[in-house]
Amino acid sequence: MIKRSFFGLVKPKLQYEIIDEAQAEPVSIQPEKQIRLYIDQSYENAGNSVFKTGDPVKSGQKITLSDDAADYLLSSKSGQISKISPFVGILGKKFTSVTIDVDDESSQSCDESFKSACQAPSLENARNFLAGLPGKPDFNVFFDSGKPVKAIVVLGADDDLLGITNQYFVKNNIIAIKTGIALLCKITGISNAILIVPQHLEQVAGSSGAIIKTVDSEYPSAHPELIMQHLLASEDGISREKSGIAFFSAEAVCAIGAAYTTGQFSLEKMVTFVSKDGNKRLVSVPIGTPLQDILNEFNETLNDGDRVVFGGPMKGSSVFSTDYPVFPDTDTIIIQDKHQITERSDIACSNCGECVRVCPANIQVNLLIRFLEAAQYEEAADQYDLFSCIECGFCSYVCESRIPVFQHIRLGKHTLESMKAAEESNA
Amino acid sequence: MHSTLKLTVSHAPFWHNGSSISTKSRNILLASLLAVVPGCYQYGMAAVGVVTLSIASAILWELLINFISRRPVSVGDGNAALIGMMFAMMLPATMPWWAVVTGTFFAVVIGKEIFGGIGANPFNPAVLAMTILMLSWADLFDFNAALLNYQFDFKAVYPLVLSKTFGASAVDPFALMDLLFGKQIGGIGSTFGIGLIAGGVYLILRGFVRWEISLSFLVGIFLSALFFYILNPDLYAGPGFHLLTGYTLIGAFFLATEDSSSPVNFIPMLIYGLLGGVLTVLIRNIGTHIDGVLYAILIINLVNPLLDKIRPKAIGKGV
Repeated sequence: MIKRSFFGLVKPKLQYEIIDEAQAEPVSIQPEKQIRLYIDQSYENAGNSVFKTGDPVKSGQKITLSDDAADYLLSSKSGQISKISPFVGILGKKFTSVTIDVDDESSQSCDESFKSACQAPSLENARNFLAGLPGKPDFNVFFDSGKPVKAIVVLGADDDLLGITNQYFVKNNIIAIKTGIALLCKITGISNAILIVPQHLEQVAGSSGAIIKTVDSEYPSAHPELIMQHLLASEDGISREKSGIAFFSAEAVCAIGAAYTTGQFSLEKMVTFVSKDGNKRLVSVPIGTPLQDILNEFNETLNDGDRVVFGGPMKGSSVFSTDYPVFPDTDTIIIQDKHQITERSDIACSNCGECVRVCPANIQVNLLIRFLEAAQYEEAADQYDLFSCIECGFCSYVCESRIPVFQHIRLGKHTLESMKAAEESNA
Repeated sequence: MHSTLKLTVSHAPFWHNGSSISTKSRNILLASLLAVVPGCYQYGMAAVGVVTLSIASAILWELLINFISRRPVSVGDGNAALIGMMFAMMLPATMPWWAVVTGTFFAVVIGKEIFGGIGANPFNPAVLAMTILMLSWADLFDFNAALLNYQFDFKAVYPLVLSKTFGASAVDPFALMDLLFGKQIGGIGSTFGIGLIAGGVYLILRGFVRWEISLSFLVGIFLSALFFYILNPDLYAGPGFHLLTGYTLIGAFFLATEDSSSPVNFIPMLIYGLLGGVLTVLIRNIGTHIDGVLYAILIINLVNPLLDKIRPKAIGKGV
């Protein structure tokens, strides 16, 4: 954990992880018995489930709850569904958990339905087949008729601290990124492709054929919202209201390129695993592999009170159990010892202003938090810029009173959004 | 699949820079010792008594309020002790015990707790208590009378009284160097200038107080005092004198910078400090009061919320 520097005159700085010149090859870990996929649909509304317990699935097969649903995941292994159950994630978000007992390595079989689709690459079949790829590419943005997409932005820099997934792909696989970008441009008809990389990878990225832009090494400069802000200011013809920008991670672009050229999915997710002693290791695991299998590989033991974080230290989420699987967008897994955890407190804001000085969105966090703590979310949104927050977590990181500011912000946004949704459904 | 492992689950971020209110209070208390220890050396055990009583009673008042209002005990954050220390630094060493205890009551209970505790006070609690006491028992704060029984090897007259009553020429015997090294009478912790500056610079470098406020406060005093001095050098003392006497230095580094009652944005901080400095000199030179720092700070505390309206636009707003 990076502590406050002794001299506190300047703003605190958090540096992004920089990939080593001699980065070790990722350790490949395979699931032992099961994989688990959390599908972004509620269990109750699943209706006529496409899958039932006992159904066989093939590697690369779409796992979804109803045929027309846009939310699906791709099974990274073939096997048999052993359990379908509800799961509740952060802020009450409902998932359906599908557990698959994995077949032996020798009897793995691949799903063939993409084979024919990949002959004629198009946005429709990309949305139909590829949204479950590592890096979680989102094609829905292209189907919003109100906001035509003006640029494709490929993130070759990692958004949160400690992660090096995207840098790894830029550094080692720029050819695949080039293929992926070319394919994306072809199927979308958009020629404006921008590759965002950290400064030290600018040279390497040059051969991708895309426009290269660099971000600096301080958190949160590689945050998509800030990149968007930067693009809005510098690119002609892009405006927040009228046009969309499609963001893809470098990992997703590689996977898309590979899928169309080979007709098969690579469903191995590149994850940085940070153990309790701070050791960082790059691992390559099939999506859906439970955390326990990764812990076993590294002989990492967990005790009561420890914390497991999926995602980076600033924006990730902590999990309840070691059954939690690797998601398509899990870039980092961090294990924290009980003693490394700083407890949050309920001391009131002392108005020191640290949060205001670090906020990349220029929000008056000291005033905002007073409204959020009193649950006056509407005032917070109207007068104190609640919805300008880009959710970088910096305010909570520096808070002297150790207020869970970020949590208050998320709760405020969530409450307002669900109120709005309820109003719309009643109208 | 019921695991017995109980993991800690909380919201992001999972890192914290380790700062806390108690660290900050501890550091400010430490820095203030640089001025308080020489003060105690100068005034003897009486001063030690006032300082310790002030800190202790401030903590007890807060504890009592915690108890009455059935809220978690908050004295651990060191803020009450800090208020007690700040209050004691401004007092003459001969302050009677009941006045000290009454003062910390005003500071902690009236100045802070009734507004909702830490971070909710509109005024600097110690300054508020001082002004209430000064208005109520003015004779206790007549430094010349209070310190009559002390023997000093320097001119034992409160410098600001001299300049106010007899004009600028009366303060000529005060060499700026002597003032800087505390060869003047005044509050226990507010006369040893070099200690206050060192403490202030330490706090600024550590980021516990904002340089914008301290610096602009001093600049405000310097510029306005210079203006008066140029206008009439016989009547008004020079800027150096104003910077080193009364509560100027403790005000600039310890009082005006109090978190809750000061702005957080860059330009507001500059205006806030500057305004404080200018008001101080105005009150000293053309007002009826001897020292203007405390009133100036109360006034800038009052305009603080208004000043903080000067802020940059949040992203995505008003583009």
